[in-house]
Amino acid sequence: MWVEVLVIGIKLAVVLAALLTTVPIMVWVERRASALMQDRLGPNRVGPFGLFQPVVDAVKLITKEDLIPRDVSRFLFILAPVVALTVALSTFIAVPFGSDTGLELFGHAVRGFIVAPDLNIGVLYIFAIASLAVYATVLAGWASNNKYSLYGGIRASAQTISYELAMTISVVGVLMASSSLHLHQVVEAQTGTWLGVLPRWNVCTQLLGAITFMVAAFAETNRIPFDLPEAEAELVSGYLTEYSSMKYAAFFMGEYVHMTVASALMTVLFFGGWTLPWIDLAFAGWIGGLLSIGIFCAKVAFFLFFFVWVRWTLPRFRFDQLMALGWKVMIPLSVLNFLWVGFAIAAGIM
Amino acid sequence: MAVAEGAMARVVDGITDRLGQQLIEASLSPPDTLQLVIDPSAVRAATEQLVRGLGARFLISIGVDRRLLAGDFGVVHLFSMDADHLFVALDCSAAADDPRIDSITGVVPGAAWSEREFRDAVGVEPVGHPDPRRLMLADDWPEGLYPLRRDVPYNIDPPPAEGVRPRFAAPPEGASVLAMGPFYPVLEEPAYFRLFVEGETIVGCDYRGFYNHRGIEKLGDSTLTYNEVPYLAERICGICGFIHSSCYCQAVEKAAGIEVPRRARFLRTLLLEVERIHSHLLWLGIAGHIIGFDTVLMQAWRIREPVMWLAEEISGNRKTYGMNTIGGVRRDVPAALIPKLLATVAEVERELTAVRDAVVTDTTVHARTRNVGRLETAWAREVCVVGPPARASNVAIDARLDHPYAAYDEIVPKICTDEGGDTWARVVVRLNEAFESIRLVRETLAHMPDGPVLTEVSEPIPAGRLGISTVEAPRGEAVHAVLTGEDNRPHRWRVRAPTYPNLQAVPAMIQNQMIADVPITLGSLDPCFSCTERVEAVDVTSGAIRVYSRRELASLAKRGGAGR
Repeated sequence: MWVEVLVIGIKLAVVLAALLTTVPIMVWVERRASALMQDRLGPNRVGPFGLFQPVVDAVKLITKEDLIPRDVSRFLFILAPVVALTVALSTFIAVPFGSDTGLELFGHAVRGFIVAPDLNIGVLYIFAIASLAVYATVLAGWASNNKYSLYGGIRASAQTISYELAMTISVVGVLMASSSLHLHQVVEAQTGTWLGVLPRWNVCTQLLGAITFMVAAFAETNRIPFDLPEAEAELVSGYLTEYSSMKYAAFFMGEYVHMTVASALMTVLFFGGWTLPWIDLAFAGWIGGLLSIGIFCAKVAFFLFFFVWVRWTLPRFRFDQLMALGWKVMIPLSVLNFLWVGFAIAAGIM
Repeated sequence: MAVAEGAMARVVDGITDRLGQQLIEASLSPPDTLQLVIDPSAVRAATEQLVRGLGARFLISIGVDRRLLAGDFGVVHLFSMDADHLFVALDCSAAADDPRIDSITGVVPGAAWSEREFRDAVGVEPVGHPDPRRLMLADDWPEGLYPLRRDVPYNIDPPPAEGVRPRFAAPPEGASVLAMGPFYPVLEEPAYFRLFVEGETIVGCDYRGFYNHRGIEKLGDSTLTYNEVPYLAERICGICGFIHSSCYCQAVEKAAGIEVPRRARFLRTLLLEVERIHSHLLWLGIAGHIIGFDTVLMQAWRIREPVMWLAEEISGNRKTYGMNTIGGVRRDVPAALIPKLLATVAEVERELTAVRDAVVTDTTVHARTRNVGRLETAWAREVCVVGPPARASNVAIDARLDHPYAAYDEIVPKICTDEGGDTWARVVVRLNEAFESIRLVRETLAHMPDGPVLTEVSEPIPAGRLGISTVEAPRGEAVHAVLTGEDNRPHRWRVRAPTYPNLQAVPAMIQNQMIADVPITLGSLDPCFSCTERVEAVDVTSGAIRVYSRRELASLAKRGGAGR
């Protein structure tokens, strides 16, 4: 019993540490990559290649005055950033990072590189928790007692509701194909080849679903081109306008953790998790386990970079255009994908 | 350019038909300004005849304190007959003891701000003005103190008052107010738009601006002399300052009948076009930033940078060239610099082509700019919009063609118009103009004549003459009017920057739009802000000043650590 708790505790600590380290790394990647794309230099002063820039950024944010404006709804104002970060972090216990290679730790089976191995409703859990994130934005918008913030909050709720529909429907196809809600089994179902040539990844078998999921993931993370809730040009900073210091940083970290979650989900649901195309690796022992984690992380890293890439390539949509895209394009497409998977399974080609 | 006698006769006949005896005097103020002194009670009829009957375009109104000269206040409404290359000045008198004049805003909506301004500045009341609120004076400026009257000293400093608020228009029933300004992230200048919104839809707006009014006109006719004003004029705008000094110098040159050497006119043309290239690139970047496309901002400004260096090589400064003086320019461009000039514009052309191709094919850019901030041709004419916003609404006006100045009679620009009238059309027009400017730079350099660059002015400039000049700034047509005076300085110097008429079109452009469209709609007018970049490192203990060169700054940026 205690050993089991200890093993889960170790897993939790490693995952949390890894996630929180991803944030500063991503901040650095974001700034340097955008500079590269814009023919600039980017932060290059602090440490080699400016690698310690996020550290000094953090120090700056911590030492900034933590201002709470007079007329805000105090409790909700403080609650909002807490919700933002907590929700973002807690989605991760259902994500498998690598193959279950039958390892033991302190005489207890590790049961895969996943914090909660017995959570057989993994997908459902992640979506349930992730959809709470919008409360952080709405609460922040409402509690700030500021028109720009309120606009940001209202936009966020409308945006999230619209895109969550498309996102969920596109995931249903995946669940049908793997007939499980457990993400470990979702990955297992993606091994081998499809129609003899293509890898059996869901991105090949249900491309439409992968596209709608990815677009919806951008909308869920409030990144350009969907950063309407904090659109600087229109709403100053939207729901972030009144926040400063670590409360602001909590939202900021939440955004990057959300990006990481979205990237991990893309990898697990559509890009075969830790499997490689055409190469059937039998992961065994510590080496095999670490290898599977390595492959998984490489894929996640690619999608994280993809987020950055898109941000500096596209302008921001206008709010009504975003809603039109969600309802008139994304939802029909995801339904189409759903129908295709049903047809393919019935016809025995999937 | 010689003024068509026929056009003058046509205007005088047209006005006489309408006014009869109320047209008191018609005279030509050389070379191209027709001065019509009329009975002030006929001002509305005369304006109507000019605008509706003769196709004139309203430019600006000038309020003049003439009590020392003629014992009255003067209100001069200025019009342009674009096709005839003629300015028409409608000169009305207002009694010194009770200065008032009929408002012409009912006839020309674009005159609304001009009339509010002469009420603020010289105290002539526009009778029947639909919105007679304060325009340019600060809210706590005392009532009844008119700063541009001659008996008010230039350095007057009335004590600030507490608790004064501007008079705002009431929002329509059921609408809420969203403040955009006075300080707002994407509008780098102080300007206060009160948006009346229902949900995210704009149902109206109110404007309060002029927070940065610096009293430049007052300085120009009180403390500075003719030859000092160009340097002040150049500081009116941090981006297109050269157009203001050119415009002022040309107005004085016209009034005094000074012939500018041909090479000087070519040099002015060269610098005006260089300024247009850098200004349009700057604008492209800002527009990209406003719609969340920061990569365009960075790329456009990177491409712009060599143009700034070029200006520095020609004039010694990235901005605020200080090249103009009355009678010509102060520095020549050495022949050795010309290959470098050509190489730079070729590089800018190549890179700008790449950016243009990326922008015009981007579907999101289309989605964000098409049908956004639409300005119909008819309304653009009514509110007298100028420059790229006018041309994007298919109003074919361009000061370089309408009233050729500098060398534009020989180096003829191609006018870039578009029928769209929306923000996208304004993007297209400005991009085309940037390429056209590159062509004009090449053309100017190819035809650059030899000779002196300055006509020395030895005779005093006679008083009481009116000189009017327009210059096509990157943002549109700028107007400078100079009424010459005693003591080697103007009696009245009137400046109209292009954003002045363009801002008056904003309420129509944002009506029924989304909040998200307001910043890019405003941005598509290219409102103006300052850019001054030069680093001085001062050692506080020793007082030693070290000025970094461009190369040092660039290497600092690459190496890191200014403090090392």
